[in-house]
Amino acid sequence: MATAPLSRPPQVLPGFEHIRRNWNNTYGVYAARLLPGEYYVTSNDEGVYTTLGSCISACIRDRQTGIGGMNHFMLPATAEVDSWKSTSLSAATRYGNFAMEHLINDILKNGGRRQNLEVKLFGGGRIMVNMTDVGKRNIDFARDYLATEGLRVVAEDVGDVFPRMVVYFPSTGKVKVKRLRSLHNNIIVEEETRYISTIESKPISGEVELF
Amino acid sequence: METGNEISKLVQDVGGLVTLPHVFVRINQLVEDPNSNIADIAKAISQDPSFTVRLLRVANSPFYGFQSSIDTVAKAVSVIGTSQIRSLALSMSIAKSFEGLPNELVSMENFWRHSLYCGMIARALAKRARKYDPEAVFTAGLLHDIGELVIFNRMPEKAREVLLLVLDSIDDLPVNEAERQVMSFDHGQVGMELARQWGLPPLLVECIGYHHVIGEAKHHPREVALIHLSNVFALMAELDTLDPADVSTVDPRAWEMCGVGADVDLIEEVVREVQDQIAEDEKLFIESRREAAAAK
Repeated sequence: MATAPLSRPPQVLPGFEHIRRNWNNTYGVYAARLLPGEYYVTSNDEGVYTTLGSCISACIRDRQTGIGGMNHFMLPATAEVDSWKSTSLSAATRYGNFAMEHLINDILKNGGRRQNLEVKLFGGGRIMVNMTDVGKRNIDFARDYLATEGLRVVAEDVGDVFPRMVVYFPSTGKVKVKRLRSLHNNIIVEEETRYISTIESKPISGEVELF
Repeated sequence: METGNEISKLVQDVGGLVTLPHVFVRINQLVEDPNSNIADIAKAISQDPSFTVRLLRVANSPFYGFQSSIDTVAKAVSVIGTSQIRSLALSMSIAKSFEGLPNELVSMENFWRHSLYCGMIARALAKRARKYDPEAVFTAGLLHDIGELVIFNRMPEKAREVLLLVLDSIDDLPVNEAERQVMSFDHGQVGMELARQWGLPPLLVECIGYHHVIGEAKHHPREVALIHLSNVFALMAELDTLDPADVSTVDPRAWEMCGVGADVDLIEEVVREVQDQIAEDEKLFIESRREAAAAK
């Protein structure tokens, strides 16, 4: 049954005003649409969704208060790719850290507690044959990051050859993942490539403070 | 511009870019001609040595699984059947024909894999139902989305908008509906117009035109419904899932229309069967594309 749309979307947390939100009939909630490179945190009953090729999304929430959100990122390709475990962080992992830390910090800043956080991980598909497996690199990074931070992954659907549509509801922790047909691969790769070229040309400025 | 005119214009524009090979056109004429016989068809085929080699390869492959070896064209035509040879000739040449219509939106390999899956599933279901021409529905499956290739090539910006709209929707907006929103017509209509201009048999014309709107089928509702179902199961094979929630919705009328029992085990059996066979059949039907891609 379709629910009558709420007249306007729930209050948005500061800093997320630019994220596009639409009423969704299937779920009877507003849902925020993430593009590559974006993230979104909410304390309301609303959804966050995105389309992932080789990019990865961490869905993180405070399982007691329901505050949580999703990010969508990938590591830029750099020569120093494999050196990220070393003490000098490469530009690539710097970007991954940036994406993870912003999501986690905004959840904590808005009342989430570190010990209550639960994580779900999606994406990292190998959607282009004949290309280095950038998806796997993103998965490896995210898993290692979360392990280092002591955050447990309670569910994941990563890797394989499919793009995915992920819909996440932070207030309940429910998630719907749908594999997308290969017909869409090129368009998804195009969007991800456009995003990766913007982050490669614009180095991250400023430091991220860890809570 | 009126929608009908816009579609004809679109198809006319690709007329010189996509052509069916002479050997198919000739076989088609001979099959339609009541005075022709197997020897005439075999002779027409023999005049195209490259087609002859490929035909014998298909005839001796597990796709047919004949007991004895098929060593002459005449034997191939007689065991496969004249009408079936016509379908087969079209199936063997369609991917190559569309090489003249490239696009930057989807990979041809992915496009044809889906189409081939659809054809293989239609053929597998047809063999079990025993009242279809399995070769005809195989060809119908292989051709069902050709309208998309015309749209991708002629209207790349609109096509991109359509694909983004589909990707952007949580609610699984079907491609044909997104097309109607963006362009006021869909790939079924475009494909049907192309099939008509080519003079393809009505069964193919209807399957291409109505595989998303099966209620509109006029003369071949069974085949149209079969292609509709096969299209959905092809997605299952592609996405390696048996969960109906993962793929597009089946029109509830389709099962009854095509007379194939709605049976979960049957779906699984057919999906697994074509997954096992896809690599082999790609070599037979899409091969020229793959070789061209590998040569780059």
